[in-house]
Amino acid sequence: MTDIVLSLAKATKLYAGVPAIEGVDFDLRRGEIHALVGENGAGKSTLTKIMAGVVTLTSGTMSVEGVDVAPQTPLEARHLGIAMVFQENSLVPTMTVAQNLFLGQEKFYNRLRGIYIAAQQFLQSLNFDVTPTATVGALGAAKKQMVEIARAVLNKAKVIIFDEPTASLTPEEKKYFFDLVRDLKKRGVSIIFISHALEEALLLADRITVLRDGKHVVTADASKFDRARIVQAMVGRDLSNTLYGVRKTDVRAPGRRVLAVQNLKMAPMVRNNSLSVFAGQITGVFGLVGAGRTETFKIVAGVMKRDFFHGGEVLLNEKPVRYRVPAPAVQAGIVYVTEDRKVEGFFETSSIARNIYLGLLAKFPKGRMLLSKRETSATGSTWIERLKVRAIGNEVKVVELSGGNQQKVVIAKSLIQEPELIIFDEPTRGVDVGAIVEIHELINRLADEGKAVVVISSYLPEIMALSDRILVSRQGKVVEEFSALEATEEKIMYAAIH
Amino acid sequence: MITAVRKFANLVLGRGEATITVPSLDGALKPNQRLESAQTVLECPAPEDLASDGDALYIADGARLLRLEGAAAIEVRTFDRPISALAALANGGLAAAFGNEVRLYSSAIAQNADAVFGGGSLNAVNSLTSMPDGALIATDGSSTRSVDDWARDLMELGCTGRVLRLEPGTGAIRQLVGGLGYAFGASPSGNNILVSESWRHRLVSIAPNGATRVVLHNLPVYPSRLSPAAEGGFWLTAFTARTQLVEFVLREPAYRRRMIDEIDPEYWVAPRLSSGHSFKEPLQGAHIKTMGVMKPWAPPRSYGLVIRLDPDGSPLYSLHSRVDGVNHGIVSAIEHGGHLVMIAKGPRRVLKLPLARIAEGLEA
Repeated sequence: MTDIVLSLAKATKLYAGVPAIEGVDFDLRRGEIHALVGENGAGKSTLTKIMAGVVTLTSGTMSVEGVDVAPQTPLEARHLGIAMVFQENSLVPTMTVAQNLFLGQEKFYNRLRGIYIAAQQFLQSLNFDVTPTATVGALGAAKKQMVEIARAVLNKAKVIIFDEPTASLTPEEKKYFFDLVRDLKKRGVSIIFISHALEEALLLADRITVLRDGKHVVTADASKFDRARIVQAMVGRDLSNTLYGVRKTDVRAPGRRVLAVQNLKMAPMVRNNSLSVFAGQITGVFGLVGAGRTETFKIVAGVMKRDFFHGGEVLLNEKPVRYRVPAPAVQAGIVYVTEDRKVEGFFETSSIARNIYLGLLAKFPKGRMLLSKRETSATGSTWIERLKVRAIGNEVKVVELSGGNQQKVVIAKSLIQEPELIIFDEPTRGVDVGAIVEIHELINRLADEGKAVVVISSYLPEIMALSDRILVSRQGKVVEEFSALEATEEKIMYAAIH
Repeated sequence: MITAVRKFANLVLGRGEATITVPSLDGALKPNQRLESAQTVLECPAPEDLASDGDALYIADGARLLRLEGAAAIEVRTFDRPISALAALANGGLAAAFGNEVRLYSSAIAQNADAVFGGGSLNAVNSLTSMPDGALIATDGSSTRSVDDWARDLMELGCTGRVLRLEPGTGAIRQLVGGLGYAFGASPSGNNILVSESWRHRLVSIAPNGATRVVLHNLPVYPSRLSPAAEGGFWLTAFTARTQLVEFVLREPAYRRRMIDEIDPEYWVAPRLSSGHSFKEPLQGAHIKTMGVMKPWAPPRSYGLVIRLDPDGSPLYSLHSRVDGVNHGIVSAIEHGGHLVMIAKGPRRVLKLPLARIAEGLEA
């Protein structure tokens, strides 16, 4: 039996004549963890989707354990022992964990009790702390991922592909996830691991493959890489220092208080939360998933409606405000740049220009009777140029853009509203390193212009690199504040956990 | 009609005006323990106010006027009643307030006053400020309650504070602004006067024509006396911090009436200058999770705070004595001899911190 479980030779995939990947050679050894890194649009997802049978090769060959294969559907790939855990998981939220595990393998007569017992035994054998009778929709991101992994193992997968598996996990959950992956490796399962967090790739992987612009750049043992080398291979230039490497030596002085959140409550996520945001500063908000950061700022921006009985006060420029929908908040100068751009950020089948123009329309209290095509186009072009959105033209659909460029469209849609307070929620999640630098520059520029900027992030290096002051949230309230000059990763993490 | 319904709904649901909240101590007001590291210069029975003429530092201690010389305090003189405010005059003289009276002396030791203001037009003068044109600005906290009865004025939601201009030449008293929620401290700011309004938790700027503008809104503390900083801007003291419990009691008139009638003022649910002396003191229950364990704690009944303001009145940094500290009830802070000298009325101390190192690690 060969040591190579899966390989692709000269793999090419064309979309409407445009290559997403071109002549890529890739091999995966038995029981190895193989990280696949590259900027958004580098072709990582396409490559893995080919392996998982989601899309088919235009040219080139694929083989599993030395046998040439060409899976046409995910089911065929699953029969070949290849399972993929997607970034947006593919579980049925209304079904229980056990039902999801055995989905597609149901017998003619299914006894729920039997399924639950089997699922319980199986989950325990993997040391997964998930209740088989729990509804998947009620589970957190980490537990959902456990169910996805369990399903892959249950299907006797030889190869499991993870697409950005840690994006929505807390640091503690990540650690647990890494242990799981190492345990799968011990069982002889081969892992392909796509991640933008390069430290994770360096920490976890045996080998790393770097893709750039749809082409294979380098594959080598992880020990031969460091962060700078990976970044250089990914973007063709040295960005590591400008990204997160430089520690702040100076912070912006606070301006007037733009936002005051006082004793805000919304059970169970926000518990007596109080904080202030000042003009001309970047206020970083760090916390583990479930710390109530996003919910607090969604309430501020009217994205989340508060129930009747929930107390507390939000003051914008020292005046109490209470927004039930985002429109009045936008008109008052608050914008919230969502963490979930695909669901809340844009209309993916609309063009870049139309999406940005929609942001402008939201600024008008009663909308507009007539819409101008010329204005739409001009607005789109202006913002594409201003934010360096890489697209052929402003009529390109947002769905066709890479993650980084999609994020820029979401930001443009918000900035066109000329806000006074801008809340960025995970601004660089699922964004390639090149775009991260540009988005960070933009955020810094906004603070320099005197805007009050909030950056919510679960990624400590990002918080440390951007923030002038750092608020640490835990269990629904801000529990600690650091100046960027005094903050260390250890201090912040300690405050977030204990 | 809709407004009335909304008000009623807010009252029932604890929303809008009925929300009981307190702003957080963050940003420039982020807590530290800097006041706890201050050197205690003097302990005296009833310190109230400070004044400096550049050479000497005077301390009002009850009815006694003390002058600080090195580490020792020398008694300069004793008045017939407790001093409520003190100011050094540009001509080398001294102004002292005694609640409902202000006297101007040609020097600290002069036996007879050059001018006396009072005669029923003053009630609770709690700060005096000398203006460049020779006039005196006095803040009269309440028109109904005496200086020592400030907590009662708060519990009665007093808003009879005034800012007065006293003309030493003519003996005239002119009211610049009235209807303030306990005016407590003033300092010249360009052509205007910056005034602390304690019960409304704010600083207001008063123009020569009497027009007011709010400079600093919604402070999490009760602001008190102000003094100018040599490098520009001001030092603002705050004699205690706001709590939700006190804010709640201030919304409950019937409760307050009974409390005032039946309870010893020492144990009222009201801010104090010091706390922790008796088990009878009211506590606000709260909890915080530390190291995975839910621990009870009590929001402060008394607190110590000095805020450094820039010339526009925006906070730059602050010096704190938190709930576990003792230097609470800071009512006066002035620069003298390279130090910031402060009065902590809670522990009855005069404190000092070197100005050169005061802001180390604090500026945002």
